Amino acid sequence: MGHLLPYIAIPVPGQISEGNESHRLTPTSIKVPSKSALLVENNESLLNLLRRNLLDMGYTVRTAPDVKEALRLYRDFAPTFNVILINYCIPECSALDERIDYSSPQTKGIELAKSIRGMDPSQGIILLALDFQSVGDVPPRPPELMNVPLVVDISRPQLRIVLEKIEVVRAVKALTPAEQLRLKRFAMFRVRGLGRAAGTRDWEDLLQEALYRTLIGAADIKNGRHWNKKVDLVKHLVETMKSIASSWKRQFTGHEANTYLVSELQTHDAEGEEYSPVDNLASGQPLTDEGLIEAEEENRMLATLRDNPVATAVLLGWMNGLRKNEILAKYGLDEKRYAAAVRRMRLKLLGSGGGDHES
Amino acid sequence: MRAKKSSSEPLERVMNQLSETVLGLSDEDILAEAGAAGRDPQLEAAQVGRVLERPLQGLENVNLCLSNLGHSVNPSQWYCGPLAYHNTCVRCGLSVSLTIASAEIRGSAVDRACRAKGLRIRETGTFS
Repeated sequence: MGHLLPYIAIPVPGQISEGNESHRLTPTSIKVPSKSALLVENNESLLNLLRRNLLDMGYTVRTAPDVKEALRLYRDFAPTFNVILINYCIPECSALDERIDYSSPQTKGIELAKSIRGMDPSQGIILLALDFQSVGDVPPRPPELMNVPLVVDISRPQLRIVLEKIEVVRAVKALTPAEQLRLKRFAMFRVRGLGRAAGTRDWEDLLQEALYRTLIGAADIKNGRHWNKKVDLVKHLVETMKSIASSWKRQFTGHEANTYLVSELQTHDAEGEEYSPVDNLASGQPLTDEGLIEAEEENRMLATLRDNPVATAVLLGWMNGLRKNEILAKYGLDEKRYAAAVRRMRLKLLGSGGGDHES
Repeated sequence: MRAKKSSSEPLERVMNQLSETVLGLSDEDILAEAGAAGRDPQLEAAQVGRVLERPLQGLENVNLCLSNLGHSVNPSQWYCGPLAYHNTCVRCGLSVSLTIASAEIRGSAVDRACRAKGLRIRETGTFS
């Protein structure tokens, strides 16, 4: 039987060379790992290959050949596992020399995943369906495991993508209140700076799109945003928001390199049904009173700060494109007064039409 | 040719500067500023948490919705369109789209049950 989908390569266990899979944990092969994985796989060659991939990605790896051992390790080391990789066809207990019948659906891996999720709903899990001849042969996952990624290709890119998503979810859930507020403030100011180019979008749209691109886009080289773990998630999302905001502005002003025609946006999906997202875009057509609207916004900012000459000076400096040192020199300010003025600006300007709305 | 300057640039410059200053604040300062602005930092942070939860929940909803209809998508195969993300059922090939702005789920895979039972997709992509 051939592959059902040509873009998915499914290795047959017997085809994998076992000659060079003796990867050992030597001091030189460990790169100060900070992440931990439990690999539940009974095929030794696949296990070695996966273990090597995980080690290369900076994971420490514990392995279990069956459900029983996996549950024992999970109970002993559970809080430390960033991710648990489970083979669909794992036997209940390898000591029984259980034979796998590929003609009927194997669900031991599913049962193990359900057990672990029952103990910790937030535990990152990946299901490995490497034993199946085609993706169409993989038994359906139950609804409660539909958010568990399924890996049908042992190649490192797919594994990396799936692991990256799990790490993103963990990092999002671990954000502190201060980090969450920092992201919100950043998004609010960025969206407000877009003016009419933001259309009906607000800070929530900007932040959510940044997260979508990080979660989903990991597999999409063109539009996706790979999260380099050397920078923290906040910094990554900030950079992604900058990129998205710039993209929105380019779309609005018509200078987007990949400008979409209206007819291109009104596309059809694979079954010929019309999909028309154009209504969500802001119009780039100039309004007759565009200049007035922008001038009004600038006057409103100046009026908001009129009781604070230092903040007004900093505002005027920024409006004219001056850098911090130039503003300090021009208005004879010191660092302390500049910082106080900026703080006042954040408080005042955020409250005057910052686009916030409690939900 | 250089693009004509937008009249919104001064506003953009100011807001971009302000957004950058947020990044330099300490955790204590950013929480204190929220309080100074008359907001409850913890409540506001929880609101951001809910906003961030939506993309996570949106993807989960897609999976649940599709599984109810017998579909199954490969989480690694989402691709990004202009305003939505797209995927296809690995069993029957029907498509699904998730709009970014509203987390709305569209596509024929949402309207129809998976029709792959007993069918096989040949390497040419046709059904038999």
